[in-house]
Parts: sequence; structure tokens; C-alpha cells
Amino acid sequence: MSGSEEEPRIGVFVCHCGHNIAGTVDVESVSEMAMKLPGVVYATDEMFMCSDAGQMLIREKIEEKKLNRVVVASCSPRMHEPTFRRVVEEAGLNRYLFDQVNLREHVSWCHMREPELATEKAKDLVRMSVARAAKLENLPIKKVSVLPTTMVVGGGIAGLRASLDIAERGFDVLLVEKDKNLGGNVAKWTHLFPSDESGADVIKPLIRDVKKHDRITILTNSKVSEFDGYIGNFGVTVKNLKTEKEQKYEVGTVIVATGFEPFKPEGYYAYGESPDILTLAELQELPPSEQLLKPSDGKPVKKVVFIGCVGSREPGVKGHEHCSRHCCSATAKAASDLRDSVDEVLVLYQDIRTYGKGHEEFHRMARQKHVIYSKFPQQAHPEVTVTKSKIKMKWHDVLADEDLEFEPDLVVLATAMIPPEDVEQTTHMFSLTRSGDGFFNPEHIKLAPLTTHTAGVMIAGAAQAAKNASEAVIDASGAAAKAVGLMAQGEVEIESTVSHVIPELCSSCHTCLTACPYGAIIMDETKDPPIAFVTEAKCHGCGTCAAACPSSAIVMYHSTDDQILTMVEAFLCPTTEAEGGGSA
Amino acid sequence: MTKETASALVVGGGVAGMQAALDIANQGFKVYLIERSPSIGGRMAMLDKTFPTLDCSACILTPKLSEVSRHPNIKLMTLSEIGSVSGTAGNFKVKIRRKARYVREDLCSGCGDCEANCPVEVPNEFDQGLGFRKAIFTPFPQATPNVYTVDKESCTDCGRCVKVCERGAINMDMKDKFVTLNVSTIVVATGFELFDVTQYPRLGYGQYPNVINAMEFERLINAAGPTHGHLVRLSDGKKPKSIGFIQCVGARDVQKGVPYCSRVCCMYSIKNAVMALEHDPEAEVWVYYADIRAFGKGFEEFYEMAKSRFGVRFIRGRVAEVMEGKATHDLVVKVEDTNTSKVRLIEHDLVVISPGVVPSTGMDTMAKKLGIEQTDDGYVEINHSFFGPILTKTPGVFVCGCADGPKDIPDSVSAGSAAAMKATIILSQGGT
Repeated sequence: MSGSEEEPRIGVFVCHCGHNIAGTVDVESVSEMAMKLPGVVYATDEMFMCSDAGQMLIREKIEEKKLNRVVVASCSPRMHEPTFRRVVEEAGLNRYLFDQVNLREHVSWCHMREPELATEKAKDLVRMSVARAAKLENLPIKKVSVLPTTMVVGGGIAGLRASLDIAERGFDVLLVEKDKNLGGNVAKWTHLFPSDESGADVIKPLIRDVKKHDRITILTNSKVSEFDGYIGNFGVTVKNLKTEKEQKYEVGTVIVATGFEPFKPEGYYAYGESPDILTLAELQELPPSEQLLKPSDGKPVKKVVFIGCVGSREPGVKGHEHCSRHCCSATAKAASDLRDSVDEVLVLYQDIRTYGKGHEEFHRMARQKHVIYSKFPQQAHPEVTVTKSKIKMKWHDVLADEDLEFEPDLVVLATAMIPPEDVEQTTHMFSLTRSGDGFFNPEHIKLAPLTTHTAGVMIAGAAQAAKNASEAVIDASGAAAKAVGLMAQGEVEIESTVSHVIPELCSSCHTCLTACPYGAIIMDETKDPPIAFVTEAKCHGCGTCAAACPSSAIVMYHSTDDQILTMVEAFLCPTTEAEGGGSA
Repeated sequence: MTKETASALVVGGGVAGMQAALDIANQGFKVYLIERSPSIGGRMAMLDKTFPTLDCSACILTPKLSEVSRHPNIKLMTLSEIGSVSGTAGNFKVKIRRKARYVREDLCSGCGDCEANCPVEVPNEFDQGLGFRKAIFTPFPQATPNVYTVDKESCTDCGRCVKVCERGAINMDMKDKFVTLNVSTIVVATGFELFDVTQYPRLGYGQYPNVINAMEFERLINAAGPTHGHLVRLSDGKKPKSIGFIQCVGARDVQKGVPYCSRVCCMYSIKNAVMALEHDPEAEVWVYYADIRAFGKGFEEFYEMAKSRFGVRFIRGRVAEVMEGKATHDLVVKVEDTNTSKVRLIEHDLVVISPGVVPSTGMDTMAKKLGIEQTDDGYVEINHSFFGPILTKTPGVFVCGCADGPKDIPDSVSAGSAAAMKATIILSQGGT
């Protein structure tokens, strides 16, 4: 790459992070040691490097001391590398002439009880970083364009809302739904707890508006069969499940709104042994009627029991450890509504999680109507047995400390929200990851809940975690904002820390193609012999290809062999003029 | 109105308001972000760690603070409040009162020379009054904008700061100013306050020095806080060996006018309980709760971990009373363990009360000015839970974060983005 040939003039900034680092590491001695290292012309320590004052200090020193390399020894680069890269850039340096040392997560936090050794380690790490900094090179800043179309995968309430928002904002939408109808789970529910509307009331106007909008192309009975490309420029093949026909599209951004599936509780509470034992979702799908009727014989239901946490909150059971969030409030509303026409309504629960707007009020109303709440222990769930056509229940009531029995006409199981059956396929298709609950991981669980680690691919609604319809709608609009943000800018910067093939050294062995987890390498067939070629916008800079290449034909920009070996050398052989740290 | 002039107003610079402002600005529209305190960052800036990943709150927040302050499309106005509002969606006229800072933002470099020379020390609100600040101050080190503010009520007009400021940035004669903005759309992100727990005298807050609230606990365990992160008792500075957390104080209580669940207290207390054990693995930590509401992504798993890995003890029962030993200032919690139906007396060195969430002060007047409706609880009323959970009943005015009800950070961020989406639909139509 273009050289930064002049002599390195390195500035080292050691951060106290309040008391986080300075409470354990002797930051002053680290910065004194750094000052003696080869190439270093300035070193200091400062309370918070990320604060405006810290940032301004870097900019001032770059100018005053003519720094051409900057090392900040602070926290994990995950959060603040972009901050400091921007700072050096504002001071006229290439952003890749910056290096960050992690003195907090890697040193002070994990060696809190050994301050002296922690300080030694901090010195080692800073010495290594300074050595690397001297070898850093300018890298070009690259941009790619963003096509003004979003593909929304999933036509449930979240997908519909996202599509409509994007279209109303003036961008095109390709809405792909695997079912023959739009509307997802919500459309099936005749009672949309916790609201007085039916699912259809809520979903119909949305579907009508989506269908009417000329910016939205709807593909039902369809699934994405191929997906490649990179942020701003994705190539999509959509397959019609009926006709088997495939059609190609190009989109700039993607919103995955593939929702959830209600858990079928096979093996729980005699589910399947009687038609009068059903899930909350199945209850919600019953045809509306004045009087709730038993599915078995059509007689009116007089006694009904709801059981909570079915397939949720089971520690150690994979995919069922999470709380399904919506069920407590939905149960409270259903129980309260049914109590108007049913003699006895019981709710068996572990904790009552009616957390949302108006939900606590449903819970209170249910109790006022004499819905009976009974808490069962986490270790001993209620027992349900079916003999002839009778359902018998036994459980321990924690609060009364008594064993109770009951013979209900109907048992409603509030089952977990779990990912749809084909979630694994979707995960691979869009290079997403999943958390323990089986749903997709967001880019950051607190501050970036709607974006993912695949740039340009957003998630919304229950695809991200169990949630209710209102929350899914909020997510959908939020994810739409993320997609529109990219499209409105029209272009986006991509990372330059990517791999590069040296054509003269490539032996056309294809090893890198199989090694690359992102499908970023192809063979350039126009060359003879064909040589490997890296699509930079798809490369994540993981370095797997470079490690696998038998001909050493692949260079990792920003992590070159030279840069890495220099760090190893600095660790093993501290130079004599800088005997800080290390035991060598 | 053209795209170049169409602009939005975001009221409130907490995490929801910042997210809304960024997502509007990233689409190329101009945003005015107003915040009544001297810095953006909101409540999140005060927190130590965040659940369920124990990320350091300030660390994940600061990149957002810088992003907002550097965004070319965002005009940040701190110490500012809405004066009056007229007009309708697409064409609002908003009069903003910009309170005098007594320090010129364009001249102050945040060097701190003034602060070092200020002789007046007052309790620091940012540290919940546990630490001290000067009469000329920034609320916290990463405060944005990074400029000083004079607290005129505490200032003695001694003039030292004015003398030492090399840039001549301090002007004690500054007056409040009014500016009028023409905006197409308004996003309300005014956040929340914590319930005043002195309303429960039986719990001893305000009477016993070792009964503190959860926000005070956050500041005490924070490395940048008044004790450099050393968790100590306020009566004698000793390390507490036994800590009790009391849940649902000012939440789910009809008598106190807070019938709703505050959504975040279960999780922040479990997080605080875990942090107490991280600080001192030998300590005993108890949580007194009514229901544990661990409903968000990763929350239940975190609750399980608190029980199984950290050994936090959970007792189901509303605390009847907290009593204090006069000489030792040690505490006794009286509670019925409803799982065993036994009344218990449990001794603690420190009791932390987890207050519920209430609408931010001034919500009523602001709602009136904006012409938006409120619920019985005092929050902003949303248009419809499915068709418009971000919309207020007034077209062109949107709501996000805790302004329409308690929310955790991810839900507030998500709502902030959603409000931005709705606002930009109006902005893209040229403001009508």
C-alpha cells in the first residue's frame, strides 16, 4: 500500500478510565516507559481519553509534536476504535495509523488483585503496540453505493409495518413471505390479547395499505433461495414454492422479520391426550362465540385453567431457558375476559410478568373478577392426567403451602415463543448468529438492537427475541429507519482491513475459497491460470485465508506478517533503552 | 418546504432522544436536539453497568455522545426548554428558552482552570448528592458539550473563575435567550424520574444513613463516582457485608398512584446484586421481590445466573419495615417470606431501595404546550398500541423512550429509531 515512509513519530496516550484502569495499573509508569521506546516522541496519561478533553489532547499533540502514529492504551477497541480513528483523521492522519491497546478488559479488570503484575502486563502490551504502530501503513478509504430497495423477509405484523414505512418514505420494497397469505401469526388470532381488537382488525388495514402501495412488490408463497453480495448491493434469488420458479433481484438493504412459532408442547401436561387441552395460541384461534365451548363435545366450558411458562424458563433446556415475555399479560387478559362467561378461571404461574403499558391493570382486573391465581414451584410443575374424558390436575400452591386438585373442562397452556422451524436456514442465508433463546443476535444487545453483524441486514420483531405485537411494530419502524438511513445516504464506507491476493504468488489451488467463511473469495477466470480474487466489501478481515494459503500469496492489510511478528519480537526482546516491563 | 430546510425537533437528550436525532440526521435532515440539563446523556450516563451483559454504561454511551455532538446535521442545545408551540404537523413554530450558562460555548475549551479556582463546593446532583462539585462545573467527565456551566444559585460572584479563564469564556452577565425554530415534526423523548421513596417512611430512606436508593448505589459502585467505586456505608465508611435490595417501591402500588410495573427495577436490582458480589464475593446479598420480571432478551438467563453462579438470595415478599440499631446504624428488614409463610427479621449493613419510574418533572406543562394528551399515570398517551405505538394523538408529534411509559435501554433505543422513521416520513414529504 501507499507508504507512510517518513520516520515514525509515535504518540502514546495512556487512559486512567477514571479509576477503572488507574485503580490497578500504575498508568504513570506505563507512560514513562512508553516515552523511552523507539519512535515515541510523546507519551502521557489522561483521565478519560474518550472524553472531549482527551480527544482534543490527541489532536493538539498530533499537530504540536508532528505525530504520524498514535497509540491509545485504554479499553477494548470494540467501542472506541471508531472514536479514535475519527480523531486522528480529523487531525489529518490516515485512520489506519492508529493502534489501540486494551488495558481495561485485558488488564485491570481481570488482574484487579495483582496490581504490580498488571502494570508489567500493561507495559508489555504498550511496548508491542508501539512496535506495531511503527509499521502501520496508510490504507485507502473506500465507499460503495447503496441500491434504493429494501428486501423485507417475512410478511407478519413487523414485516408489513417495516415495508409500509419504507415505501411511505419513498424507497422501494420487496416483501417476501413464505406463506400464501400475508399477516403471520397475528392474522390467525381472533383475540389479540392484551387488546380488545381481533388480530384481523389489526392486520387487515395494514395488508390493504401494503397491497395498495405501488412501491411495494409482494411475493407470497416465496422464499429467498440464494443471497450474496454485500452492504448496498445484495443479489437475491427468490423461489416461488408453488411453481418452483426462481427470480433474481438486486437490493441495497435487508430486514429479516421472520417472527416466531408458538411452541407445540408435546410431552407437557398431557397435551395431545385430550382436545380440551390446548395452547394459548390455539385458544386465540378458536372461532369467536358468546360462550366458550369445549372442543371435545361442544358443551359450554365452566371451569378453565391456564398454565404459564410452558416451554419457557427451563434452566438447562436448550432453546427453552428464556422468558417468552408476552404470555403473562396475554393470559391475564384472556382469563379476565373469559371470567365473564365461565364459572371458574384459574391461572397457575411461577411469576406474574405483566410489565407493559396497561398490563398490570389486566392482571388487577382479572383478580377483581375472582380469577384465581395460584403459584406453583419452579421445581415441581402441576400434573395433568386424562382419564376417559375427564381432566384431573394436581399441584402444590406455594403461597398457601397446600396440595391442590381440580377438574377443569379446559386447560390452556401458555407456551413459549420459539424461532420458526426454518430458522437455521435463515441464519445461514444472511450470515446471522443466534443466542441461547434461538432468536437472532443483534449487533449490540443494548445500543444496536435492530442491526446485525452482517452490514446492511437488520432484524425486527420476534425474529430478535420473544415480544408482543406492539413491541414488534416499534422494532419494525426502527429497523426501517436503519435501512432508510443507509439508502438515503446513497453510499457507505467499507473497511479497508481486508485480505489481498498477490497475483504472482497465487498457485490457483482454491484453498482460500474453501477457507473463507464469508464467500468473499472467487477465482478470477479471466486470468490464465485463474487466480484468487477478494471481493473487499464482503471480506470481514478475519485472516483465515491468509493463514490457509500455502503459497503465502495473501496479505492481510493492517495485520501483515511483518506487523504481527514485530509485536512478538517486542514482547520477547524489550530493547535495552526501554527496560520497562517484561522479565527478559 | 424543501429538504434542505425541513427540520425536526427532538426534546430530550437521553439515549432515546439521541438515537432519534441520529437516525433523522443520518438521512440528511436537520435536527435540533434540546436538553434541559447542561449535558446530553440522560440517566444512562449515571449508571455503572448495564444488564444483562454488564457492559459499562458510560463506555458504551460515550461514542453516541460524540457522534451526536459532531454530527453536521444535529444542532445541540443544552440548558434549553420549550417555551411555547404553535402550528401543526409540517409547520410547527417552537419558541425555545435557552438558559444562561454564564460560559460561552464557543470559547470554553473545557480545560478546567475555572473549576480548580472555584472556592464553592456543593453536592453533585450527578452523583445523587453523594459527591461534591464546584459552583462552576461539568456534570461528568464525558459531558457533552464539554463546556463548563455556572450554577448561579451557589455562585458567590467572587470572580476568580472569570480571572483565570484564559479564553475569556466566562460572562456572569449572560441572560436567558429565546429562539424560535420552524420545524416540521417533533419527537418527545423526555424520559423519567425515579419515584420519591421517602413516601414510604416505614422503609427508612432519608432517616437511616445506610438505607440508600438504587441510583445512589450505582454511583457508589462506579469507578468514576464519589468513592472511586468502593462500596461503603454512608454512616461509617465500612464495607457492607450483608446487603438487602427492596423491590417494587413506588411501583405496582395503587395507593401511591403508581399502579403500573416499572419494567426495569427487577433487572437493575439483579444486576446491582451481582455487582455487589463482584465487589465483594464474601458478601451476602438478598433481594426482596413480589414477582421477578425478567422478560427481555437474555434477562431470564441473567436471573438464573445471579441465583446459581453468584448465589444471590431471593425472598418473595413485600418488606413491611426497615428498622435501625441506633448505635451501630445496622439495619433489620422485617418481611413475610410468602413462599414459606414465615415472618422473618433479617439483618443487613446496607439496604438498597429500588424505586419505580415516574414521568419526568414538567411533563404536564410540556404536554400542554405541545397539545399532546396524557394517560392517567401522567405519561404521554400513544395513538394506538398496534397502529401507532410511537404516534401521539397530535399529528406530527411522536414519542419514544420512557416519555410514554417505563422502558429498558434496548426498548428505548428501538423506539428512538422508530420515532425517527415516522418523523422522516413527514420530513421527506417536504414537511406537509
